[in-house]
Amino acid sequence: MKGYEIIDLGILVEKNTIIFSDFHIGYEEALNKKGILLPKFQFKEIITRLNKIFTELKKRKIKIEKIVINGDLKHEFGKISEQEWRETLRLLDFLLKHCKEIIFVKGNHDTVLGPIAEKRKVNIVDYFMINDILIIHGHKIPEKKIIEKCRTIIIGHEHPAVSLRDDARSEKFKCFLKGKFKNKKLIVMPSFCLAAEGTDVLSENLLSPFLKQDISNFDVAIVADKVYNFGKIKNLY
Amino acid sequence: MITVKENPNTADEIIKLMNPLVKKWFFSRFNEFSLPQKFGIMDVHSRNNVLISAPTGATKTLTAFLSVLNELVDSAEKGILQDKVYCVYISPLKALNYDIEVNLKQPLKEIEEIAGKKLGIRVAVRTGDTTASEKSKMLKKPPHILITTPESLAIVLSAVKFRELLTNADWCIIDEIHALAENKRGVHLSLSLERLQRLSEHICRVGLSATISPLEEVAKFLVGYDNEKLRPCKIINVQFIKKMDLKVLSPVPDLINTTQDEMHYQMYSLIDKLIQDHKTTLIFTNTRAATERVVDHLKEKFPKNYAENIGAHHGSLSKTHRHKIEKKLRDGELKVVVSSTSLELGIDIGYIDLVILLGSPKSVARALQRCGRSGHKLHDISKGRIIVLDRDDLVECAVLLKSAIEEKIDRIHIPENCLDVLVQHMYGIAISEKIHINEMFSLIKKSYCYHNLERIDFNELVDYLAGKYISLEDRHIYAKIWHDEETGMIGRRGKLARVMYMTNIGTIPDETFIIVKVGDQTIGKIDEAFLEKMHRGDVFVLGGSTYEFLYSKGTVAYVRASSNRPPTIPSWVSESLPLSFDLAVEIGKFRRYMEERFLKKESKQNIIKFINEYLYVDDYAANSIFSYFQQQYYYAEIPSVKKIVIENYSDETRKYYIFHSLYGRRVNDVLSRAVAFAISRSQHHDVEIGISDNGFFIASEKGLNAVKGLRILKSEKIDLVMKMAIEKTEVLKRRFRHCATRALMILRNYQGKRMRVGRQQVSSMILISAVKRISNDFSILKEARREVLNDLMDIEKAKMVLKDIEDKKIKIKQIVTRIPSPFALNLVMQGRMDVMRMEDKMEFLRRMHQMILAKIGQNHKLE
Repeated sequence: MKGYEIIDLGILVEKNTIIFSDFHIGYEEALNKKGILLPKFQFKEIITRLNKIFTELKKRKIKIEKIVINGDLKHEFGKISEQEWRETLRLLDFLLKHCKEIIFVKGNHDTVLGPIAEKRKVNIVDYFMINDILIIHGHKIPEKKIIEKCRTIIIGHEHPAVSLRDDARSEKFKCFLKGKFKNKKLIVMPSFCLAAEGTDVLSENLLSPFLKQDISNFDVAIVADKVYNFGKIKNLY
Repeated sequence: MITVKENPNTADEIIKLMNPLVKKWFFSRFNEFSLPQKFGIMDVHSRNNVLISAPTGATKTLTAFLSVLNELVDSAEKGILQDKVYCVYISPLKALNYDIEVNLKQPLKEIEEIAGKKLGIRVAVRTGDTTASEKSKMLKKPPHILITTPESLAIVLSAVKFRELLTNADWCIIDEIHALAENKRGVHLSLSLERLQRLSEHICRVGLSATISPLEEVAKFLVGYDNEKLRPCKIINVQFIKKMDLKVLSPVPDLINTTQDEMHYQMYSLIDKLIQDHKTTLIFTNTRAATERVVDHLKEKFPKNYAENIGAHHGSLSKTHRHKIEKKLRDGELKVVVSSTSLELGIDIGYIDLVILLGSPKSVARALQRCGRSGHKLHDISKGRIIVLDRDDLVECAVLLKSAIEEKIDRIHIPENCLDVLVQHMYGIAISEKIHINEMFSLIKKSYCYHNLERIDFNELVDYLAGKYISLEDRHIYAKIWHDEETGMIGRRGKLARVMYMTNIGTIPDETFIIVKVGDQTIGKIDEAFLEKMHRGDVFVLGGSTYEFLYSKGTVAYVRASSNRPPTIPSWVSESLPLSFDLAVEIGKFRRYMEERFLKKESKQNIIKFINEYLYVDDYAANSIFSYFQQQYYYAEIPSVKKIVIENYSDETRKYYIFHSLYGRRVNDVLSRAVAFAISRSQHHDVEIGISDNGFFIASEKGLNAVKGLRILKSEKIDLVMKMAIEKTEVLKRRFRHCATRALMILRNYQGKRMRVGRQQVSSMILISAVKRISNDFSILKEARREVLNDLMDIEKAKMVLKDIEDKKIKIKQIVTRIPSPFALNLVMQGRMDVMRMEDKMEFLRRMHQMILAKIGQNHKLE
């Protein structure tokens, strides 16, 4: 292990910090407003999944000091909806039971996080550095001098997933991607949004400016009951 | 009681009822009453429910309307014409509505001319296109005859003011009922009719239908029940009054030893000859894509004959384009028009003297309906030519022709207990009135389509609409009605209920085509299900060229031209029509008669004589059919209606088990999946299946015991097996989206915005998993399964086949071949592919992981 380790949908850094990304709390309510009467289920499942992760960490006697949320904690752009307000606070309270400090890295959906963060005394930052690891949401590329300081970049935003196919059967799985960005190591985290697997990196157009490049040599690690290394993307086309 | 009216009334009897003005008008236009009129007018006049089944051009509409006009003119003359709707006319097509409006206003004008004064009889059309000002005009001065569509009828039934105009209507005429009875639009209409009858207790229902069977069931569908008793209805069957001249043509004498190019050339030469020998020709193809292809090829091969005088007409084309084509047809400017299904119904298309069907129309009723579009007048002869493309097609069309000539019409399937459609109406009823739950239930059960509805299913829908599946704090978002359990009363909830209802009802799902682009240039469209199967780098065929798939974004797929690589995914036609069960059985019977003759070693001459006599075909065709069966008999075995042959053959990669079960695709869809499920359950591996009308195959890398797979299926267990077998299929997901939209879980129009299909698609995937978390038998999910198994597939007939196997009425015989037998060839080549998923998602992942490790080596690490 070189400074970081994949733990389910999170990344453990320096044995005391865990990073999660793209929870998209309030996803159902946002769909409701568009006319899709999706019943709520995400929040309960997020808590169940997080509980599993913390139990695992506890077993390994790892004590978490910091939790970094790498952007898009909530789904709705602009105003904070009722469901988001309620569930975000409940999620923060839950996370605070397992760490000393929560750091928010701002995502593109987090334009009005202020009131929520204030209520629970959480720091909001545009990016976060641990040693030479830069944690940033990934919807835009930061200034050069910030990138120059790091050796590894961890982004979210993209919701990477991969669909595996065998003859006519096709199934989609959340995955991590690992490759390069301007000679730096680049890690793309899957989303913690459990309503959808994410963007199929084999066939869909990617959003993040970090990924406007040939990604066929990126490595794929699928997250399911454990982490499965699938080698390079080009092997899966 | 449903009765068949055996004898027509006399002209004198009818004339006695007629208002002098109407009588004068009628005989200024016609010499005498037509047969349908002699049968129908008296009963419509006496407010008896009638179902009139007659071919196009048989004066059905005037039969229905003459009594109505008579009554209106009479009342107007006497000065007792009320400001209310006397007659509601419903047809499935807006275009037809406007035709009818013209065809009513014209006689009214002529009658007024005869009378020498205005009569003040109003006719108005109300469809989705009607403007707000036209609507408010209707409220001020209600039309005496309201012309509408099923969807708009459902809307006016929930509109406060309009409902008042619909109390005490005398007649309700449902046109083209054959096009409605077998789908959810008809189911939807059946409930609207009950809601209309709740307002107009003594309304008389008149159904007009083209050739259809069984008439008795369609009559029941038309009239419904009054509590437990069927309402009375008289059937007027004049289906076969029009003379038909039908023939099956083969473009070449020998359908096997002809190259594809030669076949193609000969087929278009034949089509061209037929068109040139006639004045105006209508060509039907079975798919929209084929429609375009035929137009292109004719223009390209015969540029002198076809330019401005040829046109395509199908559902994917814009309304303006279709109207232009219809007008050109009426004006006699077209020599030929090519259509898929859109010109089947009775819109006025002028004079057609020949109909050509390219390939089998798959049902006798459809063949008659299509051919009936020629010779529009009652005494004209309908002339139809079916051009066959291969030997299976030849046998199928020859048997179809026999059934058509012998007046054996295949039976339709009327869907029952559709829970999604019911949701819309329960919501609509709650919007229009406060009603007791028991009263609502008995109102619904009056419809033929819901007569057997279970109370428990109904109650679950009440709970669904009341949002009881959601915790109390969030219920306000989901609940559409309130239900007071103490008093049993039900009513609407929320101020926006009516708007939400009016902008979201209907049963036709949005089409989900994916636009294919090279850069910014649009190449064409593919089905969304096809996209789901594609990965980056896959090569596929579209419009005759090959393309490589790059990526997709929303409903656009980006590709690049790929000239030198063969396709990696077969294109299959998802919209193709399934062969009707009854016709399939007739072909199965013919196969049996043929086998008996080969077994008895009858001479070639005798067998050909038999074919000639039995099938009404010419010598060329009889010879082709003979050699086709002879090859099958000597090389393999002839399967038939009483014998399923399972043919086992292998190629380099796979073992194929071909089931020659000629029962039509809807039955084979069930049998194949059930067999695959039974087999793969014991082997724990996905197997591939291919399905066609003539049978199905199961393919696997490993050897399987196919016979056992069929034998262990029991008819009484098939419901359970199929519920599991379709659980993870794409088709269930797709149908769930349609059902969720009909059940108003996905609102296509919400707060003034229309949702894109792509969005509906994505959302439905999330929705289905959310709904399963609530209950695996959630009403909407249950309805999606019913729709797949009973409407799309035919689980009931599949049960009958399995029962016959259990009772040894159908034999099973296994054979081994080195190359596929003649009967198997098309089946293997055209079979629609699907995969039976047995592994769960995790097992699949682990197996794929093992495969990739073997490919990249164990050493490769992600760090």
